[in-house]
Amino acid sequence: MAEQEKGPGGMSRRDFLKLLGAAGTAMAFAPFVPWGKFMPNPSSSSTDKAPILLPDGTQANINTFPVNHAEIITYPKTNDEVLNEEAFRKWQFIRLPEIYGGKKRDISSFRVYSMICLHLWCVWKYWPDEGRMRGECPCHGSMYDPRTGTAFVGPASLQAPPNNTLPSLDLELDADGFMYISPVKWGVNENGVVGYGRFIK
Amino acid sequence: MVVSLSRRNGTAEFFYWLWAGLERTIFTSIKFSFPSRFVSPFGFLGMLTFIAFIVLGVTGAFLMFYYEPIMTRSWDSVAFINNEVPFGFHMRNIHYHGSNLMVMLAILHMYYQYFSGRYKIRNEILWITGVILGTVTILEAFTGYDIIFSERAELAISIAASLTNSIPVAGPLIRELAFGAGFHDFVLRFYTQHVFILPIVMLGLMAVHMPRFLVFDVPMVMAICGAMCLAGGVFPVDLGFKFEPTVPPGITVPEWYLTGLYAFLRTQYDKFLTGVLWPGLFIAVLLITPFIDRYKKFSWKDRPLITAIGITGIAQILVTTYWGFYIPPDTTIPLVERLVIDPINLYLVMILLVPLSFGFTYMMISLAKDAERKSKLAKANGPKKVSTIDLSTKWINWLLVALLAFQVFLNIAAYNAFLSGMNNINLWLTGVILITFGGFFHLYRYAMSKAKDIPKLPPRSTTKPLKSKQKPLSPKDETRPPEEKLPQGQIGESVTPEIKTNTAELDVDKDPNLGMSDLKKP
Repeated sequence: MAEQEKGPGGMSRRDFLKLLGAAGTAMAFAPFVPWGKFMPNPSSSSTDKAPILLPDGTQANINTFPVNHAEIITYPKTNDEVLNEEAFRKWQFIRLPEIYGGKKRDISSFRVYSMICLHLWCVWKYWPDEGRMRGECPCHGSMYDPRTGTAFVGPASLQAPPNNTLPSLDLELDADGFMYISPVKWGVNENGVVGYGRFIK
Repeated sequence: MVVSLSRRNGTAEFFYWLWAGLERTIFTSIKFSFPSRFVSPFGFLGMLTFIAFIVLGVTGAFLMFYYEPIMTRSWDSVAFINNEVPFGFHMRNIHYHGSNLMVMLAILHMYYQYFSGRYKIRNEILWITGVILGTVTILEAFTGYDIIFSERAELAISIAASLTNSIPVAGPLIRELAFGAGFHDFVLRFYTQHVFILPIVMLGLMAVHMPRFLVFDVPMVMAICGAMCLAGGVFPVDLGFKFEPTVPPGITVPEWYLTGLYAFLRTQYDKFLTGVLWPGLFIAVLLITPFIDRYKKFSWKDRPLITAIGITGIAQILVTTYWGFYIPPDTTIPLVERLVIDPINLYLVMILLVPLSFGFTYMMISLAKDAERKSKLAKANGPKKVSTIDLSTKWINWLLVALLAFQVFLNIAAYNAFLSGMNNINLWLTGVILITFGGFFHLYRYAMSKAKDIPKLPPRSTTKPLKSKQKPLSPKDETRPPEEKLPQGQIGESVTPEIKTNTAELDVDKDPNLGMSDLKKP
């Protein structure tokens, strides 16, 4: 070994090739080692059609739900009470005020938006007061338009789409006026991704 | 019962055997020194940081007995620790204030090393591991105050997760891997990182960062431990409000070491730029400092550019830290206007701070050099003006007795406070006890060094022979050369002959590092 010529870094050609071989082997097998799969949480919940259950336990009905009013609903619900307390599973179930067409007896007068603010993932709330009628995040002051879920004031409004529009859920109605959440497609072009947003269609 | 200090009984023999066994371990390569007199704590701030780390580890382990890292239960478990568990209040407060102290000490330690140019001459690895260690310390403190999952902690967690998410391309994957999905995962994984992953990383970095010469100054260690207790007694940490997903949280700001970052976040600019790139840039500048510093000298006075950069950094940290905290209290202004910091305003101030800091540095350097020149002149042709506190043996003994009596009083008072359920007063008194012990220890070692001191030999021929003969006993000279040790005996041993065996560790002449400020080392 002592006879071998050394490169500029003091490394012999044979050592360099050995290193190359080791690195190449590691690189070749790295994609097939699935250990990284341990890290993401595999628990998933069903995103089937689900009745809208209000905090008092009753199912939301279009005939009784007041205009310009919001309740907090949980979706997707699990059997685990702890996971149901997850802010990422909380949605603002809003019936629009009258000026935005909230009196209509169809699902167009309702909106469901994720409660996670798109700026820094604080929790926002719908304010029905006269002159407000919008979603407001208390942490950094972002405001959301209740008709579209798009931020129009504050830091969230300055974020590029889809980061400025809240994820939403689609609704269904049965003959008695009881309300349901339609099966959900999580994606920026569909219902959106919680904490990330969606594109407006 | 016969107790002997001189005879080696079985127990003593066992400990001597253990001590001798350390010869074969790694610990012999670490030189511990116990200063025999006051030394500036700036020289061993790293050791103090490590002490804070140990205290945090111990109190943290006690907290782990009761803490539950479950989203809906963590706040309740901390409330249980705080309100129900005996001494839980103490553990939590020492842990909280210890974390603040550790971050503060780490920052002070870094800046002291920065301005004294200690990262040079093959100390680059120490510097780089130190900067990484400091960053991990802040992450550790951050994950710690998050896992209580109060409203404020929820905001902090969501900011951390959404900032990670905002990293281009790899962000969502990193967030998924490191924090999981949803707050249930976040709390559990922040907890894992807080109690295991980050401390292990810190220990590994410490193994590299630890220098071979360590100073363990008992009074100063007691003082910082006492400071944690005092702070806990005066400013007990609150629980905040439990986070409920249906209740939007109130306005909060993060802990003081992150409000600087928060000020940038509040400018509304892109969160990746303000929340990830700016702090990253700051850390990167610190990391490459040893390689851009081309000055041959060490003192801050001789490295104007590097000193100015450091002063600029400190000025910007101070200004943004305050700015991040400050929210106008006028609630009639809309929330956005109260919270959002005008980016033009903030960045303009940041830029303005650069020439200001450079000017300030220039002024300080010229002032310091001027003072240096003047003191040199004064030394050359003036009388020596060194003031010392010289206590006689009698007064030292009385002071020791008084401190001991004070300790007894404090212990009774602390016990009484505990019996009355006044946890914070008990914690405060514990701090006073620790600090008093530090003072007691300092007085003791002062007395020991006085006992060993010998009077200076009367000089053979001086200009003022009369005056020096009047005070032959004043032991002012502490940096005496070793050859003056010869006439040791009479005075030193006649004062405290029986405690002499204990002074082995306090012996100044044993180690050249002892009793010497790090500043004066070559």
